[in-house]
Amino acid sequence: MGRYILRRLMWTVVVVIIVTLITFVIFYVLPSGDPALRFAGKEPTAQVLAQVRTDLGLNHSVAVQYLLYLKRLVLGDRYGWPGLGFSYSSGAAIAPQLWQRAQITIQLVLGAAVLWMVIGIPVGVFSALRPRSRFDRASLFVGLVFISTPVFWLGLLMLWLFSSTLGWLQGTGYVAFTTDPVQWAAHMLMPWITLSLAFAAIYARMVRSNMLDTLGEDYIRTARAKGLPERRIVTRHALRASLVPIVTLLAVDIATLVGGTVIVETVFNLQGLGSWVLNGALNQDLPVTLAVTLVATIAVSLLSLVADILYAYMDPRVRPE
Amino acid sequence: MKSRLTALGLGLCVGGAAVLLAACGSSSSSTSSGTRGGTYRVEATDFGFSNNFDPTGEYTTNAWGMYRGLLIRTLVGYKMIAGAAGNQLVPDLATSVPTATDGGLTWTFTLKSGVRYAPPVNRVITSHDIVTAFERIANPALAAQYGFYYTTIAGMDTYASGKAKTISGITTPNNQTVVFHLTTPTPDFLYRLSLPAAGPIPQEVSKCFTTPGGYGRDVVSSGPYMIQGSDKVNIASCSTIQPMAGFDPSSKLIMVRNPNYNPSTDSTSMRTALPNEFAFTINSNQADIFNRIKAGQADDSLNAPPASAVATLVASNQKQLIKTGGADATKYISMNLTQAPFDDIHVRKAVNLIMDKAGLQQANGGPLFGLIATHIVPDTMYNNDSAITGYNPYPSANNAGDLAAAQAQMRQSKYDPKQDGLCDTSACKNVFTIAVNTSQDLNEIPVVQSALAKLGITLNIRQLTPSAASGVVSTVSRNVPLALSQGFAKDYADPSTFMVLFESSSIAPTGNVNASLVGLTPALAQQLGVTIPKDDVIPSVDAQAAACGKIPTGNARTTCYINLDKYLMENVVPWVPYLSLNQVHMISPAVTMWDYDQSSDTTAYSHVAVNPAKQS
Repeated sequence: MGRYILRRLMWTVVVVIIVTLITFVIFYVLPSGDPALRFAGKEPTAQVLAQVRTDLGLNHSVAVQYLLYLKRLVLGDRYGWPGLGFSYSSGAAIAPQLWQRAQITIQLVLGAAVLWMVIGIPVGVFSALRPRSRFDRASLFVGLVFISTPVFWLGLLMLWLFSSTLGWLQGTGYVAFTTDPVQWAAHMLMPWITLSLAFAAIYARMVRSNMLDTLGEDYIRTARAKGLPERRIVTRHALRASLVPIVTLLAVDIATLVGGTVIVETVFNLQGLGSWVLNGALNQDLPVTLAVTLVATIAVSLLSLVADILYAYMDPRVRPE
Repeated sequence: MKSRLTALGLGLCVGGAAVLLAACGSSSSSTSSGTRGGTYRVEATDFGFSNNFDPTGEYTTNAWGMYRGLLIRTLVGYKMIAGAAGNQLVPDLATSVPTATDGGLTWTFTLKSGVRYAPPVNRVITSHDIVTAFERIANPALAAQYGFYYTTIAGMDTYASGKAKTISGITTPNNQTVVFHLTTPTPDFLYRLSLPAAGPIPQEVSKCFTTPGGYGRDVVSSGPYMIQGSDKVNIASCSTIQPMAGFDPSSKLIMVRNPNYNPSTDSTSMRTALPNEFAFTINSNQADIFNRIKAGQADDSLNAPPASAVATLVASNQKQLIKTGGADATKYISMNLTQAPFDDIHVRKAVNLIMDKAGLQQANGGPLFGLIATHIVPDTMYNNDSAITGYNPYPSANNAGDLAAAQAQMRQSKYDPKQDGLCDTSACKNVFTIAVNTSQDLNEIPVVQSALAKLGITLNIRQLTPSAASGVVSTVSRNVPLALSQGFAKDYADPSTFMVLFESSSIAPTGNVNASLVGLTPALAQQLGVTIPKDDVIPSVDAQAAACGKIPTGNARTTCYINLDKYLMENVVPWVPYLSLNQVHMISPAVTMWDYDQSSDTTAYSHVAVNPAKQS
């Protein structure tokens, strides 16, 4: 297992290099013209352009810029370690902003994950225990609605209904937990719900499907024949086996969402990683784009590794080579 | 224009309620009375700063409006009101607006006494602080984005090259007097001194910021407000200076009262300073911004309201909450004089004649968002001189385009060999065109396509983000024949700021503002790798622009630029101007006083007030 983990970590490094290299290439290949123009004013002189290029490190070739980026990433820069540089737009160091925004995104993602598990698993279990019942059909229908509904539309609908019209919940924005835990929760509730509903529907269907398969297994029939209570059969035997792939999926979904919450963050005005990388891409702010890409890549790689390890732990038949 | 529209902060909205919008008839000022107190809350999807709010380089109207109204006083300034009066220079830090002496080469200013910086500097502003500002402008390491306006000051180049320790052309006989010595008479020099980069900067703080934009998070105020947290900054040494807490470029800019501001050194005609605080915050959800304004949870926005929000207010008898002001900006289609088929003046004239300007106006939200433009510089910049108002070299019924006249022009071009009034050759098919992918600019595309199709011109359109479009259009080697949704706004109320777009000296390999390449010479073309079509001579207006630039400000100068404008429209035809833009604002019911700052083309933050009881 140790060697397996080490091998996976090494592959993570390789993946990071490939992904950041592709991001670099895309930044320069896309037909956006000279990125320095964005930060040189509306009538840039050659001198101003040259100075901006120097200041932003754009005066080197693309290959040299990339190598310098890797060097600073590993060894650090004037802002500390890791050397993520500074934002072209704001001139501020990337690292502190990255940490501040990552906290918001993590709170959003983890909160939504808890919600979709709390909703999805019980619904899936009940649907599996009563297949083709009214509850099962209703959960399928509702699930399809949430899977089909665009996230941004759902978010706007929630804002209109619960904030503007009914006044039950807070509107957009973020309040730190340390500032006011109640306001924090009040501001995060709608984003959590918006982000979790589609996933809850997907997970409910997956749990249902896995449970139905498991409940048909021979050992379940044996357990029933031995006279075990149905409740124990479901919770200790069937559910445990059914949740193994769910746990794996959960880890990957959380990792993917780290860089993929841009829509929810934009609708609810949460200054997280998703909205940051969107602005970075639109404003040709390469350091921001690279930083979030890096975080997302590492998150996906590491959480995939965690998922594999958990899978191996939960299912002894699966052992990494 | 590159990103000039974003520099304006003009997020124009989708059409659809044009009739209602046309009926708005809102005035640019609200009730004139306001009381002291409250917080004026402005939300925006993005501040859009070009230099991180560092006044030495910051080149956006949003920032200029904040500087002028709240933070930075310059030697001369404006009343920050709407209309032509808002473009008139008045003394601010100086005791009076001087006239030039020594044949127009010397300008002498006397500073008012008792004007102090806000914390953490606190001391009296002196003439040396003006010198510091210009030393920063001249410092190449700080990349002053409009430093070119000050090269006329003697010694700026020498200082910039490091060959001199001071700028010889700026002298300070005493702490209250600053004298500018120019190398050549510059009639619009006073306008240039009204720009925020020329405002006083304390050297004891600014010396610590040696990169472009670095000073932006520690701007020391000379105005009625200061950035929140200014008083907590420790300026004992460069290493102790931390960013002011009230400014986070990604989320907020909070300004509170400057305890050292002395109203007796200012004028209420310039600054009333009624709110206790100004809070500019980022809200990534644009629809939510205007919902919050309607609900009284915010008061104003840097973004223009969507047509739907405007229509809702009009329908509910709240049109007094919609405010507009002339933006002194023109929206246009740019044609590249070196690229077929626009290398033929008859084609360019035909495009002007066929263009459905009324349709383009609708696409931008209707008359509320701008009036039909028929020439380069907005009429307001010519003080609505009768020689230019009503001037329309390419008229058509209802501004919808004149097919017959356009075809008559096309028959005179080399691209209509069949003489059928259509552009017949392959050069007219799939013309590479850059378009901008914001919502209102996308609405313009079918209007333009439809109009040009009537002349047999078809377009191969590439939609890009505003900054990407600007980058591609301003890169000469890309040879972009046609650029849609371009825009340009004044830097100050002198037509020369527009004419720079047509001077050959403005042509550069990248960052080129003369997208039409007016005045391109064969030598310059060879340098840039551009091919001038055979037997073609690109017209130049350099001599005329230079001649106009030498005339002192006044009627003669205005007349000269009017004639140049007409010459460009009739004999060069680089553009299809179609909209003289307005700035549109939605304000909350809690706003009791509002005016438009004509000089900055923004809300006049110096003339607003709120009623806290009506705020949510």
